[in-house]
Amino acid sequence: MTTDTDLLILAQWLSPAYPLGAFAWSQGLEMAVADGHVTDAATLRDWVADTLEHGAGRSDAILIRLGHACEADALARLNETALAFAPSQERRLEMTRQGTAFCKTTAATSRIDLPDMVLPVALGRAARLTGLDLDLTVALYLQSQVSNLVSAAQRLMALGQTEGQGVVAGLRPLCRTIAEATRGAGEDDLYSAAYLADIASMRHETLQPRLFQS
Amino acid sequence: MPRADGQGWLSVKARDGQSVLDRFRTRGALKMLFPVRTPRAEAILINTAGGLTGGDRLQLSVEVQAGAHLTMTTQAAERVYRAREDTARVTSDITVGAGAHLSWLPQELIVYEGGALDRRLAIDLDASASLLMVEPVIFGRRAMAETLRAGHLSDRIRVSRAGRPLYLDGTELHGDIAATLARRALGQGAGAMASLLYVAPDAGAHLDALRAALRAALPATGGASLLAPDTLALRCLAEDGFALRAALLPILDRLSRDTLPASWRL
Repeated sequence: MTTDTDLLILAQWLSPAYPLGAFAWSQGLEMAVADGHVTDAATLRDWVADTLEHGAGRSDAILIRLGHACEADALARLNETALAFAPSQERRLEMTRQGTAFCKTTAATSRIDLPDMVLPVALGRAARLTGLDLDLTVALYLQSQVSNLVSAAQRLMALGQTEGQGVVAGLRPLCRTIAEATRGAGEDDLYSAAYLADIASMRHETLQPRLFQS
Repeated sequence: MPRADGQGWLSVKARDGQSVLDRFRTRGALKMLFPVRTPRAEAILINTAGGLTGGDRLQLSVEVQAGAHLTMTTQAAERVYRAREDTARVTSDITVGAGAHLSWLPQELIVYEGGALDRRLAIDLDASASLLMVEPVIFGRRAMAETLRAGHLSDRIRVSRAGRPLYLDGTELHGDIAATLARRALGQGAGAMASLLYVAPDAGAHLDALRAALRAALPATGGASLLAPDTLALRCLAEDGFALRAALLPILDRLSRDTLPASWRL
């Protein structure tokens, strides 16, 4: 059951102020802008919706759930599975660096034991140890990812604050849908069809100049 | 087309600096051919049913023993025909031993309108084994202007090393596959896709050359990345199977050190 405290904890962990360095990563969006795949609010919305529904959003949601269900002695293995599924070096780094930062800060402030793990697995584990509502954790995580991508887009192209927040608001139902649709999903449900997003994250490695690390 | 059922077992070993057949057996619709090609072993898989349809089952089990080198390919592209009911199932389980190498180079999988396939490929590498793997998929027959408005493709590739996950790839496309692949971050209308993985100590040395090859052939729809110092992944999309193969050929020639099976030539 969701309590107000759950919401307060998640609002802290998934806020841009939580020191994960999320502002430095774009999941390949910077390349998608450079390639002309994303040029305005409408194309940004399509791109982000696709990655939520068919790519990293959906698979991260599953990894949060698996991290939540996982016993302590199986976490290292789950972490390896998460890394094996990541499509590119920069996506691996993004998950690893943000995960390490999340574990460090959260272990210290919530007094829980969190060995270094990739971000979605670590969030699932922390949610379990803190007794947070899992559906809410997944949905808020997805919305934080959308927010971060929109904020990245605003640094990459002409996109007003209101337009950007319109994209976030418009994708709210999809965040909920994916959070619910990934209930009960297992490792075999890790698949992706966001091919161009994966390819963009690979191609981003050689993009110059660039603002983001992915 | 009658329902096809086939199984194959193959084990290759190193002997006097060459790779030779140790054991092999096939049953039903799955056959294997072994062109003479020393010092490496090559096996060509043949589905004598001429394609896959609902209810078909193909099972392959392969062992590349310590120090051996095996190249596997298919005699032709594998066609997934319209299935009235049930899906076709294809599973391949492969182990690659110490210091051994596998080149897994099947020709394209072609999913026809209404085709339904569940496919699982599992490759377990020894800590000192190496691998070159490609899986090209074509969605519909472009030459016949076929778009996939109904189909089912459930595909998983699991590569592990010393029992630990190294590379996982999953595809789950159902229903109006053409509409799904038309989406902005998915395929923007691509008709063919390939996943490639190369695991060897010299993986990093190939990255720039692979990127240059992709820039020449598929400038905006191909990417390569070094997942680990010895693990190189490549993903590309192309308009059709012809463009995909044209892009893959120089890359596979390079990574296979010009040992690409003859069936791959255009």
